[in-house]
Amino acid sequence: MTKRSFTVSTEFDRQVATVKAELKRMLDAGCSFADARLYDEDRGERLTLYDGNLETNYGANERGIGIRTLYKGAWGFAATADLASIPACFEKALANAKAATLLPGFPKDMGPAQPATGKYRPPVKQDPFDVPMSEKLALLSGIDARLKDNSVAHRYVTAGFQRRKIYYWNSEGTEVDRWALNTFGSMAVMAPDPQGRTQRRTMELFCSTGEGTRGYEWLADPDAFGGHAERIRKELAEIIAAEPLPAGKRDVILLPGQGFLQVHETIGHALELDRILGYELSFAGGSHVRLEHIGKLRYGSDKLNARAGITPNSPGTFGFDDEGTPQRDYHLIKNGILVNVLSSRTDLAEANAKAGRVAVAESGTAARSCAFYRTPIDRMTNINIDAGSDGTLDDIIAATEDGVVLDVPVSWSIGSNREHFHFATEIAWEVKNGKKTKVYKNPTYHGHTLEFWASLDKVGSKPSWCLQQVPNCGKGEPNQIMELGHGIPVMRFHGVETGEKE
Amino acid sequence: MLEKRIRHLLLDARAIARKQGLDAEFNFHRERSSLIRLGNSSVALSTYEELSRLDVFVQQGRKSGAYSLTSDITSPAQLAEALKIAATNCQSSLEKDYDPIFGVVEEAVDDSAGFDTALEALSPVTKTELCKKVVDAVKPTGRYDFSGSWSSGSTEMYFISTANENEAYRRLTDGRFTMVLKEQEKKWELQVERTQKKAGDFSADDVIADFKGILPVYEKNPGYKTQIAHQRVMFGPEAVSALLGLSIWGAFVGRMWEEKRAFSSHLKPGDRLFPESVTITDDPTNPNVFGMPFDFKGHRRHPRLLCERGILKSVLYDSATAAKYKRQPTANDLGNDDFCMSGGTAPAGIDAGRRLAKDALYIPHLHYIHMPDPTKGMFTGSSRFNARLIKDGEFTAPLLSSRVTDTIPSVFSGIVAISSRTVPWNVSSTYDRRSPTAMSVPEYIICDNVRISDVADSF
Repeated sequence: MTKRSFTVSTEFDRQVATVKAELKRMLDAGCSFADARLYDEDRGERLTLYDGNLETNYGANERGIGIRTLYKGAWGFAATADLASIPACFEKALANAKAATLLPGFPKDMGPAQPATGKYRPPVKQDPFDVPMSEKLALLSGIDARLKDNSVAHRYVTAGFQRRKIYYWNSEGTEVDRWALNTFGSMAVMAPDPQGRTQRRTMELFCSTGEGTRGYEWLADPDAFGGHAERIRKELAEIIAAEPLPAGKRDVILLPGQGFLQVHETIGHALELDRILGYELSFAGGSHVRLEHIGKLRYGSDKLNARAGITPNSPGTFGFDDEGTPQRDYHLIKNGILVNVLSSRTDLAEANAKAGRVAVAESGTAARSCAFYRTPIDRMTNINIDAGSDGTLDDIIAATEDGVVLDVPVSWSIGSNREHFHFATEIAWEVKNGKKTKVYKNPTYHGHTLEFWASLDKVGSKPSWCLQQVPNCGKGEPNQIMELGHGIPVMRFHGVETGEKE
Repeated sequence: MLEKRIRHLLLDARAIARKQGLDAEFNFHRERSSLIRLGNSSVALSTYEELSRLDVFVQQGRKSGAYSLTSDITSPAQLAEALKIAATNCQSSLEKDYDPIFGVVEEAVDDSAGFDTALEALSPVTKTELCKKVVDAVKPTGRYDFSGSWSSGSTEMYFISTANENEAYRRLTDGRFTMVLKEQEKKWELQVERTQKKAGDFSADDVIADFKGILPVYEKNPGYKTQIAHQRVMFGPEAVSALLGLSIWGAFVGRMWEEKRAFSSHLKPGDRLFPESVTITDDPTNPNVFGMPFDFKGHRRHPRLLCERGILKSVLYDSATAAKYKRQPTANDLGNDDFCMSGGTAPAGIDAGRRLAKDALYIPHLHYIHMPDPTKGMFTGSSRFNARLIKDGEFTAPLLSSRVTDTIPSVFSGIVAISSRTVPWNVSSTYDRRSPTAMSVPEYIICDNVRISDVADSF
């Protein structure tokens, strides 16, 4: 990797000096806070083989600056790709904040100054952007060849890479030099079943421990990705030959490949403080969680422990958030009780004032933005479920009389306050009297969030836990796609409504 | 036409590509976007972005490569570098098993008809003042909080390729206004939405009147929990646009159809897909849509019948799918198509619709709609904003959150009435570049036997 420090480039030095002078000017102009994120590089690459054809062969780079100003309790944001016009961009952000004061709400306040200086580099052995295209294509072609089979109608294998070099400054004196480097992989096989419905089996790049590195070496590790090609092809054949899951109430065992979505949609989004406060109502929606619930609400059974975790090998680990706050690891739900929410500095004062107590003591370091031209909002980091003590998947199956094991989302639909949901998965394995008996297709399950988590009665031990990546979480206006991860053990839920009644 | 400086840089880059013997396409996009976001009856955020993006695509035989640059485009060196990266990507690429279609600007286009200087410059102050007027008029009448957003701006799109000298250029403005009223205790939500092509397309008084028209039923009646059953549903414009969007994906996308993944895959053009009341087009000339005149392979876009009086007429082919399956592209290499569902014969107006529906659920919005099984057209989504019970032709109660899980063919086969009036429904996404997109949809359709699969105790 080529390195850039705060002092190597004259042009860059000039930009830094301009930003610092402008931050000071914003304070002089009456702002209580201002910050700037300069993306010196935001590279992306995507390669997709679809039925053996390289249908996507795409590289991208974005460069620019995003400015936030807090003026009389109101936020303004502006962004430009024109780094010669940084002062004008600050001016625009200030004008936007001033306009916002015409319809004021609870005055925003960043709280006590928290100046920080730091640097973050993700753990990487091999920068994917240094790997020759021919090597990447050879890897993908090799996987594609293993997916190919007469019984497979369509197949794809795709890899995505990101490298971001972000510099952050704020008016409190914070300076952060942060890189993000992420690697994504996904493959799928598809075929019609006898009824003509397309069935599919998918596999995403995952990490069984959450430790390790997240460069190209991760994608190239057969245990983490390519080595699963034959398995998903075989499982697709089983799905094609299977009957639909009959409707009924039964135990549901979620593999991490489905458990991550359950956590993402019914815990992660529901606990975002901006949603709780009503700032996402018109788009993403609200939350069934209220400020008075923090510290009190029984969110699930006492086996439920959810945390905003720092998991090295995850795109949800970033060192410092987009307010320059060092990332923290903390419980959101402890022994089933809601103890914290996902937050940034921006909304703490409002939340605590409205709660009439200190409901959220410090930033949850969840201020994240997807690009220089988007403002930071409360986003999921790594929302992980702590491993339990109920053993392996096999142990949990052995302890189940009547249930199904479910894996990988097909569709998801959820109420705007995240209180009721309906999910479909790719595959179900029936469990009868402690044994996996057969495969079902078209599995679905639905429920109500708190009742569902209250029914959590088995949580797998560490060997059942693994990190699933989410490369495409959408939120905010203008919309932002964010990358994160969920570390999830195998989980069993008792007496869940499954399948579709005719 | 595009600003001279940028245009010349792009034309020069094309000349360099030609000199190097490269088949190259250049797609330039520039946006000026501003947005205010409302939360808790205040402006929570006010943003402005000025962004230029350049996509370069290089094709050599059966190989291709692309590169996209988001940066201020100021120098020939930047363009040469972008071209070089795209060419390198192409060179190291794999050959496809079909002959890809290269972009050719079929017809020179210079279209700024949809551009309104006032809308491009619409200030956050003007927006905030309108929102304040609404908040001041409605908030004191109950325990209400307002949220929403108002995005407006301009978009320039310019496409050229080495195939010929033609240039395709479009400049337009658009706006999307959404305001949500939420009752603080009971948690129901009302929404008013507007699509703009010009500044002044709507006023605060319009928005206030819409809220005040819906509020009494919500204020005077408790939430109604309906039955899990097949029921008559009157879908409003957002729900119709959601159903239309899923219909496009599940029935008319060429790749889905060719690969037998569409619920129309068992049919051929000329076969019946929907009942006679359903006509669907991709029509850039419809006044309700933003009307994209060309796609990003240079094809000129013309009205295209997809389903005429229920009969499948054609499906949509982007260039890659057309090449793969040896079809003609249908000018759909773009994200902002212009899909339209024709109006029917039922009287215009939501009030006329409810009288006609008599006893039904009114579901104007389908939240978080997904299609788990496109081969059957099966979808699921929940009611949210403005949903009400219709009894004896009157709105009588707000509807608690109700989930619809059904298939598109089944819902459409149950159509008993379609409003004669069509309305624009803005479906622009701001996930990526500004891309003004609207559908033209009947303001309501009434359908029998819609499957309500779950009901909640909350809104």
